[in-house]
Amino acid sequence: MPISDAQVGRAYPATAPYLVSREKIAEFADAVGDANPAYRGSAPIAPPTFAAVLAARAWDGLFADPELDMKLAQTIHADQSFRWTRPLRAGDEVTATLRIDKLRARGASAFVTVAVTLATTDSEAICEAVSTLLHTWPKEDA
Amino acid sequence: MSITAEVGAELPPLTLTFTREHLVRYAGASGDFNPIHWSDRSAARLGLPSVIAHGMLTMARALRIVTDWCGDPSRVRAYGVRFTKPVPVPDDDEGVEVTVTASVTAVADGVATVAITATLGGVKVLGSANAEVRLD
Repeated sequence: MPISDAQVGRAYPATAPYLVSREKIAEFADAVGDANPAYRGSAPIAPPTFAAVLAARAWDGLFADPELDMKLAQTIHADQSFRWTRPLRAGDEVTATLRIDKLRARGASAFVTVAVTLATTDSEAICEAVSTLLHTWPKEDA
Repeated sequence: MSITAEVGAELPPLTLTFTREHLVRYAGASGDFNPIHWSDRSAARLGLPSVIAHGMLTMARALRIVTDWCGDPSRVRAYGVRFTKPVPVPDDDEGVEVTVTASVTAVADGVATVAITATLGGVKVLGSANAEVRLD
C-alpha cells in the first residue's frame, strides 16, 4: 500500500476556478429531486450539497498523485461533512483546495480523510468539506 | 424572519425512491462517474451486491427533510453524515425506498441541530446524520 503517514498534511494546488451557473444549479436540483424555489429564478442559490461537486474536483488532484496510486473506481465514500459560511450562488467563481488530514490503514485498504476548502476567486470563504474515502489497492500492490 | 424550533419536535417524514435513472441523472449533474454507480461488474469487484446509489445522492436527498421544514436552504450552516450501509439499486422500474425521519435535538444560540434518520428495509443507511439550521 503506497500511502503512509508521511502524506498526512500534504496539500494540493487549488483547482481552476469553477463558474457556478443557473443552469447547473437547476440541473443539480432536478437530479436530487428538489423543487425548492431558492434554486430557481434569476438569482438562485445552489443546493447545499452542490458543494460536493466542487470539492470532488479537488479530489482529482488526489487521484492524479502518482505516489498514492489511488483510483476512483476503488474508492467508497465513508463519510462527508460540510460547514458553510454562505451558500453557493449563481455567478460565483470558486476554487477548491485539498489537503490530506488523516490516514488509517486497514490491510490492503485505507481510510483517507481529506479536507477541501471552497472559496471564491475574491478569497471569500464559502465552505469546508471534509470527506473520508475508503480506498482499496489491488492485491498485487498490497 | 426567524423560525422557531423546540427540542424533540419531529419534522414531517419523507419517502425517497431510488431507481437507476436517479443514479444516472445524479452522475451527470454531479460529474461523479464512479462505475460502482452504473456498472454491476464494477460494484461486484468491490464486493457490493449490485450498483449502489451515490452516498452524496442519498445525503442530498435526505437533507430535503430539513430544507422543506425551514424553507430557506441558506439557513443550513452544517451537515454531516456517515455512509453506514450502501443503498443497492436494482435494475427495475420500482427501485428501492429510503425512509427519512428527523427531529430537533438541540437549540442554542439561534441554531437548531436536527438529527436525521434514513433507513432502507429498517436498516440505517446514514449514521451520525446531523444538520445545523440558523433560526434567526
